[in-house]
Amino acid sequence: MKRIILSAVIAAVMGGRLCAAVAEDSKIFTPFFDMTLNEAAYMPSVGNIFSGGNINTQVGLLAKVTEKDHIFGLYNFNYAGQGFAPQDSKQFTDRSMTHAFNFEYRRNINEKFRVRPGVSLSSDYSRSGANEAWKNGLYNMSALGFQLAADYIFDFEKNGVVSLTYLSKAVKFPNYTDLLREFQDPSNTANANGGLQDQGIKQVSLRPIWGKWFGGITYTLQNFDNQKVVENTGVYGTTKQKDTTTAVDAGFHHALWIFELYPMASYTMHRSNQNFMRYKSLNDSASATFVSKNYDYNELTLSVPVDLNITSKWALGGALNMTSRKYTDRNRRDENNDYVDGLQKNLMTTLTGSIRKRINDTAMVRLYYALTVASSNNKFEKYMPGNYTGNTIGIAYQLSY
Amino acid sequence: MKRITFTLTALLCFNGAAFAAIDWESKGMQMAGEIIANPAGFFYDFQQDLEGTTPLPPGKTWGIQTGLFPTAIPLTYANVSGKVRLHGEGRIAPGVPQVDLIGGYWDMLAAKMATKDSKTIDSAKFGGYYMGGIISASVSPKVRTFWGYKHSVMAAKLAFKPDEDGKLPQFMGTDLNSFDTGFKDDFIIAGIETPKGVNKLWSMQLNYGIKTQTFSSKVSWYGKYFELGLNIFPEGVLVVHPVWNFHLNF
Repeated sequence: MKRIILSAVIAAVMGGRLCAAVAEDSKIFTPFFDMTLNEAAYMPSVGNIFSGGNINTQVGLLAKVTEKDHIFGLYNFNYAGQGFAPQDSKQFTDRSMTHAFNFEYRRNINEKFRVRPGVSLSSDYSRSGANEAWKNGLYNMSALGFQLAADYIFDFEKNGVVSLTYLSKAVKFPNYTDLLREFQDPSNTANANGGLQDQGIKQVSLRPIWGKWFGGITYTLQNFDNQKVVENTGVYGTTKQKDTTTAVDAGFHHALWIFELYPMASYTMHRSNQNFMRYKSLNDSASATFVSKNYDYNELTLSVPVDLNITSKWALGGALNMTSRKYTDRNRRDENNDYVDGLQKNLMTTLTGSIRKRINDTAMVRLYYALTVASSNNKFEKYMPGNYTGNTIGIAYQLSY
Repeated sequence: MKRITFTLTALLCFNGAAFAAIDWESKGMQMAGEIIANPAGFFYDFQQDLEGTTPLPPGKTWGIQTGLFPTAIPLTYANVSGKVRLHGEGRIAPGVPQVDLIGGYWDMLAAKMATKDSKTIDSAKFGGYYMGGIISASVSPKVRTFWGYKHSVMAAKLAFKPDEDGKLPQFMGTDLNSFDTGFKDDFIIAGIETPKGVNKLWSMQLNYGIKTQTFSSKVSWYGKYFELGLNIFPEGVLVVHPVWNFHLNF
């Protein structure tokens, strides 16, 4: 679920970058190419050493049909490998792979106003530490959607643009099954496999860019097609699950002497009408505890990367990344999986130091070391570590045009 | 100074806590298990190390290549690859891209020697080939993008015979007679190339297998004679392969 929200927010943020891809005056076709590769070794204080990384390839083409009519097509391959992740989001060993296609028609209404209708389709594969075949991933999903975006240029001199985007998507999870329901009633496969995670997503975002500044507000609504809300009796009722996420983000990119800063902050409020019934084990109904609004949280993320450009080729880099999540209604648990006083709070901080070499205008390589410190007042860590420290040593390449 | 000392001490403490968790023995067992579960996938990753999937340099019409490390040494993959240019960029008309044919073959010499010398291996065959094409187009004086297709095939067959005592090798309590596994897939290639210096190039590419969803990312630096690379197989047993290949282009 977290992945869907993250994908939706990233799509909104990326939208700003990609809509900035403009046709060169002399060309009918302008390509867009970006390949990044990041591979790292991870050494956590909980669990064994592992390696993981990220591959992202974006290939696009902007076609200038007439002066006012442009068509933009983009293919994006993304692989997110094993790695440290904020608590309650994914396990170290989880991986995912996405193929996404976007087609956008751009029409300049006048000098200041442009509209961008488009369609998008994507396939997302997931894989857990059990190394199941990609096609069998429990959370595999496919999405088909359309968007309508409008850009208004309010300052030509400082590249001031504000974009309003509406996005609608139908998301299907063909392999998803409710393991608890299957265990409770093995013959009732319709309830366990009947597209419980299938959902419709609607998203509205407003994103201004002005000079060195960028920001935006994104509202996402997830309407589940079949999943019902758990009631305090421990059984699913008749109300369908509905989640909303409101995210505000802002940042800037500024170069001052040899310093290059690009900090960003975002605040996310996630609300769901889904509840949670905690069982200590599958056969232990006596320990059942009902937690209303179990999934509601507020999250603050902060990213402060700084590069110190020693020469035109070499730079020293440092970065602070922080994710702080506070649940609004979920109490923390002790080591025995018992709820105790106080709401659950998670904090993950990563300090990174790096050396970057620019090979030419289009290529760069970065060698980095990161120290991750994750802490949580939730001490029940049987399935997912919440309190650990980790070291990461990695190398990243980027080629973009 | 006190603050710096405190920070360094804290960092070293964190380091100690984190590095203490490394269990090399269990990591080795995990990797061995992954090789046994999918031997063809493990050996095919090395085939990708010797495959020449970058376009011929501008102005060259054909080229040959052989993988030196980790293919010929230490894995004894005797191998040869070739490239032939069908069309030079812009020859027929401005903007028409360069078109190259690529292909190659390898055979594992160690498998042949094992058959000859071993008392328990009856026959062994480890080998493969690939063929395909690459289209490349300059998008600026310093950047060339390339797109390709390759059909890759690998065979891994091993048959055992009883030793002097009439016993077959065993794996987890079961007699091993033979295994016959292989790998076959059609790949899409997308890459970008940029000059690093005079006659030196830097490239990155993605190879994606349509049926098996096997994928790799190759980062390469190459000049007149040699190619150095880092091939990344994120889902492989050995994730990072340092690669050294020899090539001549005419």
